[in-house]
Amino acid sequence: MNTKLKVSEISKIYPGCIANDKVSLEFGSGKIYALLGENGAGKSTLVKILSGVVKPDEGEVFLNNESIKLNSPLDAKKNNIGMVFQHFNLFETLSVFENLSIDSDKKDEDLRDLVNGILEKYNFKIDLDIPVLNLSAGQKQKVEIIRCLIRNPKVLIMDEPTSVLTEQETDDLFISLKQFSKDGILIIYITHKLKEVLSLCDEVAVMRKGKVVSVSNTIDEKIESLANKMVGENLNTIKKKINNFKNSEEILKISNLNFKSDDPYETNLNNLNLSLKKGECLGIAGISGNGQNELFQILSGEIITEGSSIMFRNKEIGKLNPRERREYLMAFSPEDRISQAAVPELKIYENVALNNFKSSNFFEKGLVNEKKIKEHSKKILSNFSVNTDNVELKSQFLSGGNLQKLIIGRELITSPELLVCFNPTWGLDVGAINYIHETLIQINEQGKSSILISTDNDELLKLSDRICVIYKGKLSKIMNADTVTAEKLGILMGGGTID
Amino acid sequence: MNFDLNFIGILIGAIMASSVPLILAASGELIAERSGVLNLGVEGMMIIGAISGFALMIVTDNLFFAVIGSMLSGLIISLIFGLLTQSLLTNHVATGLALTIFGIGMSAMIGKNFVGIPGKEFPLLLDNLKESIPFLGPIFFGHSIILYFAFGLPFLTNYFLKKTKTGLIIRAVGDSPTSASNQGINVTLVRYSCILYGGAMCGLAGAYLSLIYTPQWIENMTGGRGWIALALVVFATWSPIKVLIGALIFGGITILQLHMQAAGLRIPVQLLSALPYIMTIIVLVVISRDSRKIKLNTPTSLGQIFYKEK
Repeated sequence: MNTKLKVSEISKIYPGCIANDKVSLEFGSGKIYALLGENGAGKSTLVKILSGVVKPDEGEVFLNNESIKLNSPLDAKKNNIGMVFQHFNLFETLSVFENLSIDSDKKDEDLRDLVNGILEKYNFKIDLDIPVLNLSAGQKQKVEIIRCLIRNPKVLIMDEPTSVLTEQETDDLFISLKQFSKDGILIIYITHKLKEVLSLCDEVAVMRKGKVVSVSNTIDEKIESLANKMVGENLNTIKKKINNFKNSEEILKISNLNFKSDDPYETNLNNLNLSLKKGECLGIAGISGNGQNELFQILSGEIITEGSSIMFRNKEIGKLNPRERREYLMAFSPEDRISQAAVPELKIYENVALNNFKSSNFFEKGLVNEKKIKEHSKKILSNFSVNTDNVELKSQFLSGGNLQKLIIGRELITSPELLVCFNPTWGLDVGAINYIHETLIQINEQGKSSILISTDNDELLKLSDRICVIYKGKLSKIMNADTVTAEKLGILMGGGTID
Repeated sequence: MNFDLNFIGILIGAIMASSVPLILAASGELIAERSGVLNLGVEGMMIIGAISGFALMIVTDNLFFAVIGSMLSGLIISLIFGLLTQSLLTNHVATGLALTIFGIGMSAMIGKNFVGIPGKEFPLLLDNLKESIPFLGPIFFGHSIILYFAFGLPFLTNYFLKKTKTGLIIRAVGDSPTSASNQGINVTLVRYSCILYGGAMCGLAGAYLSLIYTPQWIENMTGGRGWIALALVVFATWSPIKVLIGALIFGGITILQLHMQAAGLRIPVQLLSALPYIMTIIVLVVISRDSRKIKLNTPTSLGQIFYKEK
């Protein structure tokens, strides 16, 4: 079975942005293709066109030399093009099997046999009869993949599939993808992670600002060469000097903290202990859903605990709410930029004002001091190189990277003693990640402390002075970063032990 | 003793009859809500069903036409809601409220000429058995066909949602319209169908009031039952069987407190009148307190406007 897929002169224009500008590419089965580019480069638009979700303004798609019309997702399915979206298209409250059966014409028993066959062949372990919301991100992705596989796809498109996966899950995914490729499925792999391109793909097409800027074999490429093509400029890599903080002043101490949730989908935290020194960055690794959310909320004051269980600069703060904690010079950057950190419908300066505390004088006699807030916001925008100077812009129109810069800037401009951030570079492109990393290193150099809760091990190893792992609501031993390797983290994240 | 037992039977029969409009309207609304549509127009659709059913009965002198007509009129008025919320993407809550206000006004206008006209007798099934079997007779016999339909409906609805493909698709749309659309499901069509079905059931609920329960036309005769039905759906956490239980409790306490009022108990009347509302909420909250189940039954996209990416 030989499959050839060709896109020819595809253009798609959105108001104010050319998402695809005469994109032409060719793919053939037996190889894994990478489509590489920063956020907003037009990769996602292109794959949405291939999966029938979005219609192109111009251009054609050819499958085995025949022009095909992709007016709806059904058309893509009919042409055996399978797609796994970056944001899962699953029904959380339905069972795994219901999710699979919803777009299958097969009888339930036949479908079950087929699915069990696939599970066995590719060594997937998933309970078909539990609701999807009980699955981990990696398992959810497998459900998406199975959904494609039951239709015997000729083409399988994966849109940034590893953004929610752990290292181990990523390895598993790559093994599966290579197997699919051997079985004759043409695989198009969309990503902005350079390492993945090199370790998985045979050919790589780089997109920038809606255009294809290069197509090459991955053997001829290196991380640096791909990064430069992707960003269009030379990036300098950053490295942190790991310091020893043994004799420094202790700034935060959590002792014997327990949290028991009433919600069965939350994780309980057991006997948490940690201490943080002035100027230090403590990294907390772990597979998502192991209590990071709850830990972040406990630190930020969204979850209130016993007063004495959290000591910040020798004050009991366990009972304080987030605003009160900010008064004590703590700062927080939550994981979900859109719904937790900022209100997308509000303007930039209004979002800045949300973070007010008494000393900022944003409000006087119950009135909003707009002039003051706007000045303050402008300062944030310029100090933290947000790509706009219009404080009247609604936050939803900022890209992920710019929004994150705004959020971190909003927190840091008040010179807090401690910044707690949770997956600060989730879904961002290389340029923005670099900027955020530099900023985080800078605050440590200025003698401020930080706690970095992240599912990205590279990031943790790059930025932390000490690292521990959270697994099922428990923290591992805290280790010095220079003694930690990705392998060690992997073992601890999976619940294993190391000596 | 025999007499007392028979009296209890009659009481249970009356409770069942009073809960029929709630079961019908709530079952219809439940389907709409499971597809993610929050239609607050239940009261409006019910009252339109009540007046059109009654008017058609007077005009055509045919109960069958009256019942079918009431369902059709409920369906048509819900079509307005569908057009506004699904095609013109208006806000569900505001549109639903407008629909209720519209329905109440419209029904009062149509109903002007029908005030004071006595209704027609609705055929009751196996009425003779009602008298001859003590206790069980008045419970199981001598009801209209609509009552039997209403009591079967929650079970049918439950089966439909859980076991059929169409039910699965409705639940999927309610869970995530975007995902459903990406799977090639026509979300708008599914939601329209659910809205229309809900409208028809509300129309039927109204007709039950004006044709059977109190066979006459009185302005505003639904008396807030539409709102109760809406509340039942939510407090029953979108489970059809719990809707049935809730409707029976509400109907039951309504009838009982009337008897208590009549018996001249020394409890303030206001408190007794409030009792059905309070008890229904308490019981439903208690039987639905499993947060796992709530999460699985709640339509995640409830009230959200869906539009397709172009």
